[in-house]
Amino acid sequence: MSDDLPEQFDLVVIGTGFTESCIAAAASRVGKTVLHLDSNEYYGDVWSSFSMDALCARLDQQPEAHSTLRNASYTWHTTEQEPETGEPTWTKDSVLAKSRRFSLDLCPRILYAAGELVQLLIKSNICRYAEFRAVDHVCMRHNGEIVSVPCSRSDVFNTKTLTIVEKRLLMKFLTACNDYGEDKSNEDSLEFRGRTFQEYLQAQRVTEKIASCVMQAIAMCGPTTSFEEGMQRTQRFLGSLGRYGNTPFLFPMYGCGELPQCFCRLCAVYGGIYCLKRAVDDIALDSTTNDFLLSSAGKTLRAKHVVSAPGYPPVSKGIELKPHISRGLFISSSPLGNEELNKGGGGVNLLRLLDADAAREAFLIQLSHYTGACPEGLYIFHLTTPALSEDPAADLALFTSQLFDHSNAQIIFSSYFTIAAQSNKSAAAEHIYYTDPPTYELDYDAAIANARHIFGQLFADADFLPRAPDPEEIVVDGEDPSALNEHSLPEDLRAQLQDMQQATQEMDIQD
Amino acid sequence: MHGRVKVRTTEEERERKKKEQALKVRAYRAAMGRIQKKREAGELDSEMLTLTVQILQRNPDVSTLWNIRRECVLEKLSKLKEEVEDEEEKPAQEEPVGDKPPVKEDKAHSIFTCELDLTEQCLMVNPKSYSAWHHRCWTLEQDPRADWQRELQLCNKYLKYDERNFHTWDYRRYVTAKAAVPAAQELDFCTEKIKVNFSNYSSWHHRSLLLPELYPNEQRDRPMSEEKLQQELEMVLTAAFTDPNDSSAWFYQRWLLGSGAQLDRAPRVAAFRLESQGAVLALDRPYPDLKQLKTELTGGEQKVELQSWLPVDSSGTSWKCQQSLDYQRNTIYSLKLCDQEVNLSPLPGPEDGAFYFAPPHAAASCSKELLAELQTQLQSCLDLLEFEPDSKWTLLTSALLMRAIEVSANHEKSLAHLAKLEKVDALREGYYKDLAARWTLEYELAKWPQAAGFPRNFTLAEDVLLASLPYGQYFVIADELNLSIKLREQLGDSVPITFADLKVKGDF
Repeated sequence: MSDDLPEQFDLVVIGTGFTESCIAAAASRVGKTVLHLDSNEYYGDVWSSFSMDALCARLDQQPEAHSTLRNASYTWHTTEQEPETGEPTWTKDSVLAKSRRFSLDLCPRILYAAGELVQLLIKSNICRYAEFRAVDHVCMRHNGEIVSVPCSRSDVFNTKTLTIVEKRLLMKFLTACNDYGEDKSNEDSLEFRGRTFQEYLQAQRVTEKIASCVMQAIAMCGPTTSFEEGMQRTQRFLGSLGRYGNTPFLFPMYGCGELPQCFCRLCAVYGGIYCLKRAVDDIALDSTTNDFLLSSAGKTLRAKHVVSAPGYPPVSKGIELKPHISRGLFISSSPLGNEELNKGGGGVNLLRLLDADAAREAFLIQLSHYTGACPEGLYIFHLTTPALSEDPAADLALFTSQLFDHSNAQIIFSSYFTIAAQSNKSAAAEHIYYTDPPTYELDYDAAIANARHIFGQLFADADFLPRAPDPEEIVVDGEDPSALNEHSLPEDLRAQLQDMQQATQEMDIQD
Repeated sequence: MHGRVKVRTTEEERERKKKEQALKVRAYRAAMGRIQKKREAGELDSEMLTLTVQILQRNPDVSTLWNIRRECVLEKLSKLKEEVEDEEEKPAQEEPVGDKPPVKEDKAHSIFTCELDLTEQCLMVNPKSYSAWHHRCWTLEQDPRADWQRELQLCNKYLKYDERNFHTWDYRRYVTAKAAVPAAQELDFCTEKIKVNFSNYSSWHHRSLLLPELYPNEQRDRPMSEEKLQQELEMVLTAAFTDPNDSSAWFYQRWLLGSGAQLDRAPRVAAFRLESQGAVLALDRPYPDLKQLKTELTGGEQKVELQSWLPVDSSGTSWKCQQSLDYQRNTIYSLKLCDQEVNLSPLPGPEDGAFYFAPPHAAASCSKELLAELQTQLQSCLDLLEFEPDSKWTLLTSALLMRAIEVSANHEKSLAHLAKLEKVDALREGYYKDLAARWTLEYELAKWPQAAGFPRNFTLAEDVLLASLPYGQYFVIADELNLSIKLREQLGDSVPITFADLKVKGDF
């Protein structure tokens, strides 16, 4: 098959992770010839979603020095015997029998409904390839309990946890944050410039409960977050409210692994060529033309530019990787939190966890079968925290104990792994551009910024993912572009038109 | 540019749209022309139905076409009836007896179903089309097999798309009445909708119709039973505090705190004065012609029907009766108006006569629980006013709550709130002034029976500032009004007419 490949490309992208796919799509969209390679047999690299079998296989795979996924382990917690009576419980076999019903993310994310990625998807028209579910609840821990944070106006109205005066104060505070910045000279901004957001919050005479709602779940900040940063985060949250569903967040149906593929699809629509299970053996620079010479499967390809994800040999040789994210992935037969948070089988819940002095944080994404990411009756808990060590389980121990110690969650499967990142970003050798591996963030802002930056370096004057036309906007060769397409009319109107042609002959109708 | 995507330019697209538009206009005119011709010719046939569909699907607001469709439907139905009658006239032995399905009903039903489907499609185009909603009601009225449960589901669906569409709420009330949906079930539905979005006049209104029916108030001085009222007050204040700028909740709360006055109830006697030459009667609300209501005066063995009432003022709140009566001292008189019967007191002083007086809005009694709830709410409002001293709705609501708790003790405080409101909400200054005048008069009239010279004299202290003088009809039993010169000037011609004025005119 390799013989069918063209030999010359404007851009070769190695790795089909989110950032790489974004760059490939952007280049292809503006008319560049793109070859997109991945040595894996699946799309998405460490941004991918796996079936149950595939995840275990992936975690079993021996990591190499340059692998971005490492320190992987997993455990089944099911007993092999069937219980004598009662409801049938899940066993390893019964879970594995539904392996293909799972979409298990290595890097799960939650999207702000008006955030960078959603805007990019809409702007580029890639959104037609994706489907989302609105996040059902944004939660926080309060006195050891998981409680829903009132996000929208109707949440605030319905919540039983706030008194009416507290409700007023919360709404007032949020409105003030939302309006902040419209008038730069307003008193607060002058008074609190250079101070922390927490100080500002304390000065607003809000109660302790409201303060924790805001700090933990809405602004998602810590005691040292600056006033400006906290305001910005609060606005980001509020700006995404009221778009879809009750919370400001979205989760991609069938897992986050779908997203890189959406970009790949656009790339392919504009002529990008895809080869999975294809590794690059060697890269050299042709000093006369300044082209890259890539040897892959016995064939030499020429490329003006090369973009690669870290973790792909041979480009990654010599790059030093260190732990960046510690991940825990759990499958349970019961959800976390009370019935109210999991009405009708639950949906997607987001919970930000903090240690005692709010110095460390983690976020938990709980998924039910409504996301298409697991079978009915099971729940996925994705736990993510910035890595401290090569031991993801130890990094997460504090948070898992917060979650599971006093809960009735029936964990069936647990796994831990580390996502590593380059320790030194300037290692862009020989003009090959390296994308960043997944960073610790809720949405995709950093990844998009990274893709935009690299794209800007490659094609300085080109537009980054302009809107792709819909099929009906495309003109077929030789067609009069301003001609009225009869087929674009509704069926009955078309029939009517034919009748009319007769009728106009009989009657004198003036236009 | 082989193999490259070419997209229409905006210029080309505009050109194309223009052509499409022109074509649509021609199609519309052609169809309308055809419809008119057919109608003139009386051709109310299937083609007519097809032609109207084409236009209505795009613009459901052409009411003429709906009228034509109704004619077509009626025509079809009458034809159907004729057919059946023809068949019945045929000899019976041709058809097997008994098992024949009711073909006529089926056919008729399918005509109605077709109309219902069309209105449903049209309502998707314009969910606020009066004509389409009306046509749907008309169709269902015609159809003896109308499926009201289906209609209820339709309401649910439409209210899910837009929970504030008052057309759907209106239609829902029509459907629930037909389907005999229990009011309790409707209330639950309404509560759900409010939970989703309380900024919804329609659903608050829906509640206000359901609650008095479900939880009636025995004394009829509050909109509903006190227990339920307490819950409603709690709920609506929560909404109001969540978003004080949304007026719907505040309006509903105002209704809750009101007396639940039923507009359809008969007017009541506010004041009455009787002398041997005649009588005057003030009503608590206007009534167009008092002669139509039966007024009966009883004194000892004597029973007189008072007739020939003439209006004293233009609003129909005070009336006079120039019927001479044989007034007897030391007799207890009572007056009966509709189902209300009141006892008269003898007039103090040398002259003969009797009177009755009931100040407006006598405070409704209040159970301990309700009082506690009102006090909690007032406290919440006052707490909030500390944070937001200029919050308009909070100022007004706290004044209303104070008055609901205890009118006279809180009189000054509630007026202070109105004075503040005149400043913070200057656009409605006149409204607050009027409200202040009403509250002041209610307060003064409540005090009047204890005043010296009652009921002959009414004195309003110089320092009582008023923008107007509401409740003027109550003074018809007085002889003298001591009002400040300034107020008299302000009132001009609208100084209330007194009993003495009528005497001077020679009425009595």
